[in-house]
Amino acid sequence: MNQSLELDHLKFQLREATELLGSLGLYQGSKWCAEALNGIISNDLSKNLSSDKKSDSDETLSIYDLEDNEYDNNETTPVNDPLYNVIFKFPKVQSKINDKYQFAKSLFDCKEFDRCSQTLNGLKSSKCIFLRLYSKFLSHEKKKEEETEGVLGQNDNYNSTNPSIPLILKELDQLFDENNNHKFENYSENPFLLYLKGILLLRQKFNSLAQQTLIKSLKIYPFNWSCWVELISSLNNLDQSLQILKDFESFFEIKFLNKSNFNNNQIHPIQIIVKIVKIVINQEFFQQSMELYDDLNYLLQIFPNFSYLKTQKALISYHSMDYQEAEDLFDDILTNDPLRLDDMDIYSNILYVMEKKSKLSYLAQFASSIDRFRSETCCIVANYYSLKFEHEKAIMYYRRALTLNRNCLSAWTLMGHEFVELKNSHAAIESYRRAVDTNIKDFKAWYGLGQAYEVLDMHLYSLYYYQRACTLKPLDKRIWQALGNCYEKLNKFKDSIKSYKKVLNLNEVENFDNSSIFFKLALLYEKLLNSDKVYEFMKLCYNEEINLNVKNDETAKARLWLSKFEIKNKNFELAYNYASDFNHGTSQEIEEARSIAREARNRINSKLPNL
Amino acid sequence: MTNESPSHHNSTLTISPLIANRTRDIGGTPSYNQPLFPSPLAATPFRDTSESNSIRNLSTTKDNGSTSNLSAAEKLRLWRHDALMQHHYRTAEYIGDKVLSLTDDPNDAFWLAQVHYSNGNYYRARKLLSFKNLDATSVSCRYLTVLCLMKLEKWDEALDVVGETNPFKNESQNIRNTDGGIKLEASLCFLRGQIYSNQNNLERAKECYKEAVLVDVKCFEAFDELIRNDLLTPFEEWELLSLLDFSDVEENSELIKLLYTSRINKYLNTEKYEEAQIILKEDYNLKQNTDVVLGKADLFFIQCKFQNCLELCEEILKNDELNFQVLPIYLACLHELGGKNKLFLTAHKLAQHYPKKSITWLAVGIYYFAIDRISDARKFFSKASILDPNCGQAWIGFAHTFAAEGEHEQAIAAYSTASRFFPGTHLPNLFLGMQYLQMGNLTLASEYLLSSYSICSVDPLLLNEMGVIYYHKNELTSAENYFTQALLASKNLGSDSKAWISVHANLGHVYRKTGFYSKALASFEKVLKFSNNDSNIYSAIGLIYLKAGDVTKSIENLHYALAINSNDPVAADLLKRALDENCSIDIQSHTNNDFFARSKDIFSANNATYAYRQQQANKNSLKTPLTNKHRNINQINNRNTLNSSIDQVAADLINGEDSSDDGDDVMELSD
Repeated sequence: MNQSLELDHLKFQLREATELLGSLGLYQGSKWCAEALNGIISNDLSKNLSSDKKSDSDETLSIYDLEDNEYDNNETTPVNDPLYNVIFKFPKVQSKINDKYQFAKSLFDCKEFDRCSQTLNGLKSSKCIFLRLYSKFLSHEKKKEEETEGVLGQNDNYNSTNPSIPLILKELDQLFDENNNHKFENYSENPFLLYLKGILLLRQKFNSLAQQTLIKSLKIYPFNWSCWVELISSLNNLDQSLQILKDFESFFEIKFLNKSNFNNNQIHPIQIIVKIVKIVINQEFFQQSMELYDDLNYLLQIFPNFSYLKTQKALISYHSMDYQEAEDLFDDILTNDPLRLDDMDIYSNILYVMEKKSKLSYLAQFASSIDRFRSETCCIVANYYSLKFEHEKAIMYYRRALTLNRNCLSAWTLMGHEFVELKNSHAAIESYRRAVDTNIKDFKAWYGLGQAYEVLDMHLYSLYYYQRACTLKPLDKRIWQALGNCYEKLNKFKDSIKSYKKVLNLNEVENFDNSSIFFKLALLYEKLLNSDKVYEFMKLCYNEEINLNVKNDETAKARLWLSKFEIKNKNFELAYNYASDFNHGTSQEIEEARSIAREARNRINSKLPNL
Repeated sequence: MTNESPSHHNSTLTISPLIANRTRDIGGTPSYNQPLFPSPLAATPFRDTSESNSIRNLSTTKDNGSTSNLSAAEKLRLWRHDALMQHHYRTAEYIGDKVLSLTDDPNDAFWLAQVHYSNGNYYRARKLLSFKNLDATSVSCRYLTVLCLMKLEKWDEALDVVGETNPFKNESQNIRNTDGGIKLEASLCFLRGQIYSNQNNLERAKECYKEAVLVDVKCFEAFDELIRNDLLTPFEEWELLSLLDFSDVEENSELIKLLYTSRINKYLNTEKYEEAQIILKEDYNLKQNTDVVLGKADLFFIQCKFQNCLELCEEILKNDELNFQVLPIYLACLHELGGKNKLFLTAHKLAQHYPKKSITWLAVGIYYFAIDRISDARKFFSKASILDPNCGQAWIGFAHTFAAEGEHEQAIAAYSTASRFFPGTHLPNLFLGMQYLQMGNLTLASEYLLSSYSICSVDPLLLNEMGVIYYHKNELTSAENYFTQALLASKNLGSDSKAWISVHANLGHVYRKTGFYSKALASFEKVLKFSNNDSNIYSAIGLIYLKAGDVTKSIENLHYALAINSNDPVAADLLKRALDENCSIDIQSHTNNDFFARSKDIFSANNATYAYRQQQANKNSLKTPLTNKHRNINQINNRNTLNSSIDQVAADLINGEDSSDDGDDVMELSD
């Protein structure tokens, strides 16, 4: 197996992608590709210190020891290798057109979007069309932003939509329709026009159609990371996402690996990308498995310096509540790339949960010193203030974060939490709504909505939101508990029982005190007049007291119930056992227990002579 | 005619056809026997002309080489004529009067009257012409008399003079007019039409205009009057075009025919129109000509392609800033596209230069209408319609102001007036139908819509309204039929306007009512693609999903609806029902559709992770004691159950667990 060639190929493709995405103004995608490219293990290492190069180079050296080799005259990329074919390329245009494109692109870079799109008016090559429509879209996004008068401001309505989207979509549809009679290119097969259509459809809430379009785009050009990001954000259902992944895997296998000149032992760069996507999707759906960790470790071998992958790993740890590991991973990221602010807001969340106040404070200061006006920085600072109970200040910073980047995913939810703190449920609900609007996978926001409506005693509503949260994170027992509670309030006892049983199911894993759940279940069965089950769960609740040595109100009540039950069934000895060392509960209950115990003892004593 | 422009030494005669013809004749090209211009040099006795229909016949066939060998009177006539051309009316009057006294020639009387007319002295012209019964004996004098009477607003008298019907009807149909000018008969017919139009007898007026243009195709005034005021239905217009005899214009016949073709309505025979456009552009090189471009703009306007139309209009206006033909379309486009600022500028320019034109105040009205100042808009629309009672746009705008305020009765009155002025356009009737529909009067509404339909059967907006009527009458199949027709029409016109959207929405509602849920959803989806801020659409989708038993999607869409309009009672009610359904399992026999069954796939997809965690937990339980576990779990809950987490934090702070923290004052971040 020639691992080195495969790496070169991967580098080649990433290099191409960086350039291509950059030339189209897809900065985030370009940045990601470049970061990946620079995160790849150096050849020297991967060749296991083969003879022709410095044998004593280690990883860090190979990064910093560039000075001597910075000027490189030999073209090392084997351009003529058939394996190194470019996956997608825009057709060549006349130099006159290209000059215009360059002019437009520089206007785009200077954020003169209107002028940019005007410059490209009437040009027919797909590259020009893309930039023209894309800048038109961005221009209206910007204007929309300016008109809203700030986050949750006066005009910040839900329905302030970008008026250019329908027009652009229509133009794209027309282009796709008439592609048959165009000589040089087939617009409907152009991955970037498809990408543009996909993101616009997403804005218009055409989720499934958007997904199809984005998938089509990715099948043509899988290195468009911006497109992957959009696709992943549009997924809201785990089994469907896994299906899409499988589809991609088999598609690329057929497309790239069955080519005769390709050695089947090798892994095509596209497969690497798909692997990364797979990890991201599993991470976003809170999944864990051996296979996932294997994949992740494999990728980290290839990309030892790719911070993005490390963030994913940290996030997986965070989701599986392994905060210590998550913190360590983020520390590692920070030391290797100290000025990287991306995802640092997640780090601050972890620190918040771990209540590492001083470290969070340090992180906030540090981030502010890098760039005070990044949405991540604002989130970190807001988290800090939240931990200090300065909720107004926290809200102010979240607002700022959202002003800087309206799609800042966690800020809406966290702002909702802050509003809850301030007992402003109305504003909280609005924030949560925006949160699920920007990120449909945000189970915390759904859960928050459920809680907010529960406070308002609108259980029908909160039930729905809990359900949404639950489909996103079915392994979270808190949600099941909330669901069970909700069903109970709505007098749906059977459903409530189902939900609580799910909680028990999940709790089994952790050997956790279930007494309150058992007690709840017992009460529910009582309402359903199923006395066998009531007994069973009262007993289970009581058993928790014995097994785990916990004493609380529920176990006490269970004891009391059991003792009464046994009295009724004339099992006085058992009743006495339950009631005798009853010492946790209200005075009334204790009194009651004592009287039961007395009665039971009397009965036992009175019975004895008979025996 | 390739004359140099006159310097101040020359008279306008140097560019008059009179001179041009003469020079050509000298050059030995005797093809023109008669000068184009009615010449003051005419010496032919006046009564000859009574047999002819044209004043051109007044002119002589005599060839005069130069002015030098003219008689004294003829020189005076030439003077008078040039004075008239240069608008020296007092000179012309002075000299004309002298010539008339000298010669006592009826022709000189005519020309003096012409001078009076040009000078605005209509009454004197009239008196002069009635002198010696000239208006009875000469057709040209009669023509001028009628013009004067019309200017004097003596409509009945004018009609008396011109006659209620065309007196030459039987004799002259096929006589060719060889001088290349407009037959006086046609002009008289045109005047008759104008008189009838002023007397509100539009039916007769229409007939007269038609006659005028049939008598002589060169009578563009009549043709324009017919087209501009929509006096003919689309079909009649094409019929008229086919009847016109273009042979009168000789070698120009094809050109004129094409020009006329591109002028008339574009509802029918679009191919013919396109063909005409192509020939005009390619063979005649009239690509830049205003009227050719205007035709194209008209077509775009009818197709609701306002952006393209606007671009063409702006192209025309670049050369001719206030072209009155273009302005109405231009203003309508601006209103349609929300170009308030440009409306403002145009209205101001017009008000500055043409304060007495109705179009000016129409523009001002449209501007105020666009910025939602309805009462001001109404004021200016009414001013425009007072200045020109035939200005249908002003009437419709006037009616719109009432409609916008929900004043149905007054809107109906105004639309009715408009419909009287525009018998050839379906719009007023359509608007009337819409008003009645809004008032819930289905019978009257359908009556008006049908009469509108008889004029134009391809307007998607109209077909849409028809569909709505049937929808309200609960005749869903007919409604569906009309909506599909409307779609077809809008497809033919290639539009994507609001009309297109509402047709799809309505069609969706019909499908929803008839139970074709998937079709309904498809329709609504198309609507949402182009406009997604209508809560009704989302409500309807929610209802469909609710009926189809997909509660989750139903709730989702109802949420969108309420997000757009939180006060939508329908959506709120539906949402409540959907949520009810969501919690009760078997309300409508969707037994297997409760939350647990629905989410089965999602739950099972998580099994791998569940298994993995269980495995890990088991491993851990073997390795580590569970003592600290509970505390951890409580912490884990932090981010979601904020209350408890804060309690925890508070407790920890009190207990001094976090005493290591000294960063309280570090965080002085300025805003």
